[in-house]
Amino acid sequence: MYQYDEIDRAVLDARTAEFREQVHARLSGALSEDEFKPLRLMNGVYLQLHAYMLRVAIPYGVLSSEQLRSLAYVARTYDRGYGHFTTRQNIQYNWPALVDIPDALDHLAGVQMHAIQTSGNTIRNTTTDPFAGAAADEIADPRPWCELIRQWSTTHPEFTWLPRKFKIAVTGSPEDRAAIGVHDIGLRLVQNDQGETGFEVHVGGGQGRTPIVAKIIRDFLPQRELLAYLTSILRVYNLAGRRDNLYKARIKILVDAMGPEAFRDAVEAEYEASRGRALTLPVEEIERVSSFFAPPAEGQPLTDIPTGTAFARWRAVNVKPHKVKNRAVVVIPLKAPGATPGDASADQMDLIADLADRFALSEIRVSKEQNLVLPHADKSALGALFRALDEAGLATPNHGRASDIVACPGLDYCNLANARSIPIAQAISTGLHAAGLDEATGDLTIKISGCINACGHHHVANIGLLGVDKAGEEVYQLTLGGVGDGQAAIGKILGPGLSADDAVTAVIACVRVYAEHAQAEESFIQTLNRLGTDPFKEAVYGA
Amino acid sequence: MALDALRRIEPATVELPGDAVPSEAERAVEGADRVVIRFPTFKDGRGFSLAALLRRSGYEGELRAVGPLLPDQVDDLLRMGFDAVDIERPDGPARNRNTGGAPYIYQPDPGAVTARPTALHLRALAARKATAEALARELDGATPEAILIRAAQVYGGRMAMLSSFGAEAALGLALVAEIASDTPILFLDTGMHFPQTLSYRDRLVKHLGLSNLHVLKPDEDEVRAEDPDGKLHDRDGLACCDLRKVRPLGRALDPFDALITGRKRYHGGERGDIPAVEFDGERVKINPFAFLSPQDVANRYKALDLPQHPLAEDGYASIGCWPCTAPSDEPGSREGRWAGQDREECGIFDPVRAERAKRAGAIRLI
Repeated sequence: MYQYDEIDRAVLDARTAEFREQVHARLSGALSEDEFKPLRLMNGVYLQLHAYMLRVAIPYGVLSSEQLRSLAYVARTYDRGYGHFTTRQNIQYNWPALVDIPDALDHLAGVQMHAIQTSGNTIRNTTTDPFAGAAADEIADPRPWCELIRQWSTTHPEFTWLPRKFKIAVTGSPEDRAAIGVHDIGLRLVQNDQGETGFEVHVGGGQGRTPIVAKIIRDFLPQRELLAYLTSILRVYNLAGRRDNLYKARIKILVDAMGPEAFRDAVEAEYEASRGRALTLPVEEIERVSSFFAPPAEGQPLTDIPTGTAFARWRAVNVKPHKVKNRAVVVIPLKAPGATPGDASADQMDLIADLADRFALSEIRVSKEQNLVLPHADKSALGALFRALDEAGLATPNHGRASDIVACPGLDYCNLANARSIPIAQAISTGLHAAGLDEATGDLTIKISGCINACGHHHVANIGLLGVDKAGEEVYQLTLGGVGDGQAAIGKILGPGLSADDAVTAVIACVRVYAEHAQAEESFIQTLNRLGTDPFKEAVYGA
Repeated sequence: MALDALRRIEPATVELPGDAVPSEAERAVEGADRVVIRFPTFKDGRGFSLAALLRRSGYEGELRAVGPLLPDQVDDLLRMGFDAVDIERPDGPARNRNTGGAPYIYQPDPGAVTARPTALHLRALAARKATAEALARELDGATPEAILIRAAQVYGGRMAMLSSFGAEAALGLALVAEIASDTPILFLDTGMHFPQTLSYRDRLVKHLGLSNLHVLKPDEDEVRAEDPDGKLHDRDGLACCDLRKVRPLGRALDPFDALITGRKRYHGGERGDIPAVEFDGERVKINPFAFLSPQDVANRYKALDLPQHPLAEDGYASIGCWPCTAPSDEPGSREGRWAGQDREECGIFDPVRAERAKRAGAIRLI
């Protein structure tokens, strides 16, 4: 993985020192909360329902074991012993004291991590496929491009005061595991007829209260032109994006209002005017950054195979093929029955870091499904890994299955939320487990958002729940048919809103319909497309 | 905001709202020597982009940011092309040290008058220098073929050849045609060449089957302004080279990281010890013929049966523009170039670049 050079270190150290001064000024009263707000937001510090929250960026979801141990240290030292991995491959701490945050950030800077631009109307952490560099179906590794985007977008002088937040996702696989269709910019690595690698550029996708699938505005962008083209898109958006209405300010609204063709023409015109040597990626820098992401060496074959069905089940569901011989991708779901999706204790983080050191080349990924991943596990160690993870309650065989539920923090933490998300997720996973349904089904995504901002990605869930406030009551809208990865699709509302208890029952009923009707190897979406919504409506709302 | 709402504060000052439409703003600032951009709030980043666009359109006067801005924004405003910032509350919450900004920058300054190198370029130049030095060691004393084959491996797709189509040009062009035939050939058409050079150019292009010739001409507006009578070479030879060679080449070099030259050590002067590959502070120069002797060159011409420049037999050993080229007694010598002027190069091979090369090497990388 990427290692900072003295330039990266100097930039981060300057920023960390600067924020320490800003926090000090707030604590001494020299800064009011209003004045402090834009400064803290640039550094990932929110004021939530009960306390400040610190969101730390995990660049494109890649962690070393040392970095994961540092996240555990921060959880144990400055928080309540756990952290929450988010749908954007970041981690949030819900209970830090403001006075401690500079120390926490110093500690993280020591392992090349930061919280810069995890909030505010800025370019946020770039996200990608959690299996990047390991996936067997990869055209090119997206991580070098994510790192180049990370540096370009960090403290950008022009794009720090955008109309609204801005999210970029990159995928290197035809089977897009980065949901590029629902990002402000989605980049797909492709090859042209000459065999050159470049980008297919998608713009204007997003979730929130106006879910829209992104449009392709360029079929092939030469890779050295990446930053010049991104700059042009951002400049058009910065100048023309709406600033009069918070809810109309994302780039998706601008692309929709201008029309994708007119928007593309504006970007291409700006690109023609601004491209040039200063914005062209130097070949040497592409080579330097790429050199940090060389494929791993081959592993050893699997000989130690634990007996019993538990290992076989775990391996079939949580272990994915790797492009290098005798290596495997191991997903560690943070989704035991009744667990808070995405939460990991400091002890769990330390354990996973140790396992990564022993069996998986010291590397860990965070997925937008709020799970952790060992991308380069040695196949010979799968047995040992399973035993260690199982003992720690981290071997639930549900990756991509019904109980692998995504949920935002919801009303338990968030001051934007209208309804609870976490208790609903816990109730559903407990209910599915009790009914034996989490094991009986195939690929299925359930996602829950506690408000229209859609941090739980409910729009692109096969089964989505959106919590709304209706005259002081928490009410949940149920949607079916959303897809995030690949051909993105927005889910459709099935019927009237449901109370919290009814919503839990309804989701379990939908899973049961799927389990009862699914043909062999059929995913939920395939079953839904085959049957239509009627059987689901009937199960939820009665005849 | 409509253009008629733009307030003229004093004759040469134009005030623009932060949400001005860029195309209208560009027209509005014509002739102004002071432009004020008024930000409605510190959160409205439009003025940042607007400043960069005004600078790109050629506005060179004072650019001032006013409004409820934060002290913490000053560094970024300067990078966007502002050279003055009025903060409504100078005694306000100035927490950012603003001591000249971060030690390094990841993005090119979008609008600043003097562009600083980015982190990406500092690293790339250091790597480029190291590669060039390694290649120079590897290829010391090597044949032109060996040098060009190796260079094409490393720099293929971002390498061009500069050719004067002079007395010794054919050899290099033939080598490129044989080893890396898709290499762009850059020719500086100064408008002051001997007619024999232009006809020779056309003949060679045909003879060798060169398919990627780029003819670079001086900017017409610049010629009208700086050399209306075509006599600049008499008044200031260096300025003439700058107008007709250095600037047109500078504009055309953008896509290239490496240039193949026809320079040889026996040219003497600053060329007396050139290596096979060298870093000039930004690009790499590949000198396939560095180690040849005049006799080697003659033998190669003979062996390849290449056409000679028509002026070669009239005693011109090195051929540039007609006003600054004289015959010379010694084959291969550049004695006849700028005879009577105190210089031996036109400025394309710029020693200032060499100085930058040294500085680029000062960045330590892990």
